Amino acid sequence: MHIMEGFLPSPWWEIWFIVSLPFIIVGLYQVNKLVQEKREALPLLAVAGAFVFVLSSLKLPSFNGSCSHPTGTGLGAILFGPFIAAVLGLIVLVFQAVFLAHGGITTLGANVFSMGIAGPAVAYLIYKAGTRVGANTYATIFAAAALADLTTYVVTSVQLALAFPGTTGFLGAFSAFAAIFAITQIPLAIVEGAVIALVFKYIVQLKPEILTRLNLLSESTITKLREAAA
Amino acid sequence: MYEVLEDFAQTNGLRQTNPGLKLFIGLASILLCVSSPGPVAPLLVAAAMSVAILTLAKIPARFYARLLLIPVSFAVMSIAVILFITPGGAVLFEVPGLPLAITTGSANLAVLLLARVFGGMCSLYFIALTTPMAEVFDILRKLRVPAVFIDLAMLTYRFIFILIEEAGQIYRSQVMRLGYGRFRESVQSSGMLAGALFLRTWESGEALVLAMDARGYDGKLGIPGEARTVSFPALAAALLYISAVLGVSLSTGGLAPV
Repeated sequence: MHIMEGFLPSPWWEIWFIVSLPFIIVGLYQVNKLVQEKREALPLLAVAGAFVFVLSSLKLPSFNGSCSHPTGTGLGAILFGPFIAAVLGLIVLVFQAVFLAHGGITTLGANVFSMGIAGPAVAYLIYKAGTRVGANTYATIFAAAALADLTTYVVTSVQLALAFPGTTGFLGAFSAFAAIFAITQIPLAIVEGAVIALVFKYIVQLKPEILTRLNLLSESTITKLREAAA
Repeated sequence: MYEVLEDFAQTNGLRQTNPGLKLFIGLASILLCVSSPGPVAPLLVAAAMSVAILTLAKIPARFYARLLLIPVSFAVMSIAVILFITPGGAVLFEVPGLPLAITTGSANLAVLLLARVFGGMCSLYFIALTTPMAEVFDILRKLRVPAVFIDLAMLTYRFIFILIEEAGQIYRSQVMRLGYGRFRESVQSSGMLAGALFLRTWESGEALVLAMDARGYDGKLGIPGEARTVSFPALAAALLYISAVLGVSLSTGGLAPV
């Protein structure tokens, strides 16, 4: 759910640019450091970015038959951390805006905040918390991806309600926007969670060295997961 | 769809125009749309951009019309909310039994937003259909955007095309095997598609590292930049267009006073 070009009036689009900027700067700094240390990281980051783009232009099955799209940034955040996911989100959003007129240039700041910063941050925190308490890995990933998607849509509703409070004030406008998006986004968030969890299952089964190299899962967890699946 | 957009960007009638000028026209149009207080200036931008796309860049009208239809659903949903919650002016329409009403104030705002969205979309398509991405990267480099960001964006761009191709192949073969017959199966198939796609791209990413290393990659990708001078008539026409829209934007307020 991106806010379209021209939809956010001044000063809101400028405000969201300013809010997003520090996250992007930290993210760029981290990307730079990562690439200096390990040069092979750059193509892998690019692959993750392209994966987010393609995933978010896929039509996922939805209960009510509408064609909505997932955000896909949850996976990026789990793999590389929230700040690098913000940079990937920025790149994806620029391409979506310029290719598809999906999102926009002036609304880029707001969209980067909802899809590239808020969603991934939630995914990352849930994933970290889940692994710390030793919850089921797939359940954790499901929760992280689904809630990242939901967070993105809640933040989008907040952004729209702040810009257009109307007669009902911020809360009334927020519930109106949230209600109309909820129709498509709540089923979609659940499906996205399930799909991302399945992606992880494939990675664990077929190419687990990706996860151990990024220090996401230890060898012993992977052996346990593979034994459970077998 | 994506390939087609890039094809047009490479072959359109404005291909030889300076990319900086095209980017400048597109971005200036977007800013004019967002800052205009009334719906006239954004509609003027939409008209001017569409004329430029259709006659100067010679994009087929049918294809352009189909592009404009893509982002409609979000616009309709959000405009509907704004139509019902914005105050001001006389009541035009009321939902019986609910505190929802369309007023002149909300109708004005909805018209203004639709005009801005429409103008912004046309300007974005102007950039997308006339300027190849490689030239945008070249401009970004001249604007001193960090090199690591540009490299990452360029590689991402390259992988998007590879991935879409593969995703399409996997999707078609799944459909032929009835992978999307029931809801449960379609979730399963989507997960399988995304998982297979992720692993394949990761492997091609690793292969790319090897290929780049073998060719002496030292942490920077070269972009062949070619200098095309800005022609004076083109620059004059662009400035005339922008000041005309600005004039209209300043002299027209909303359609009706709130």
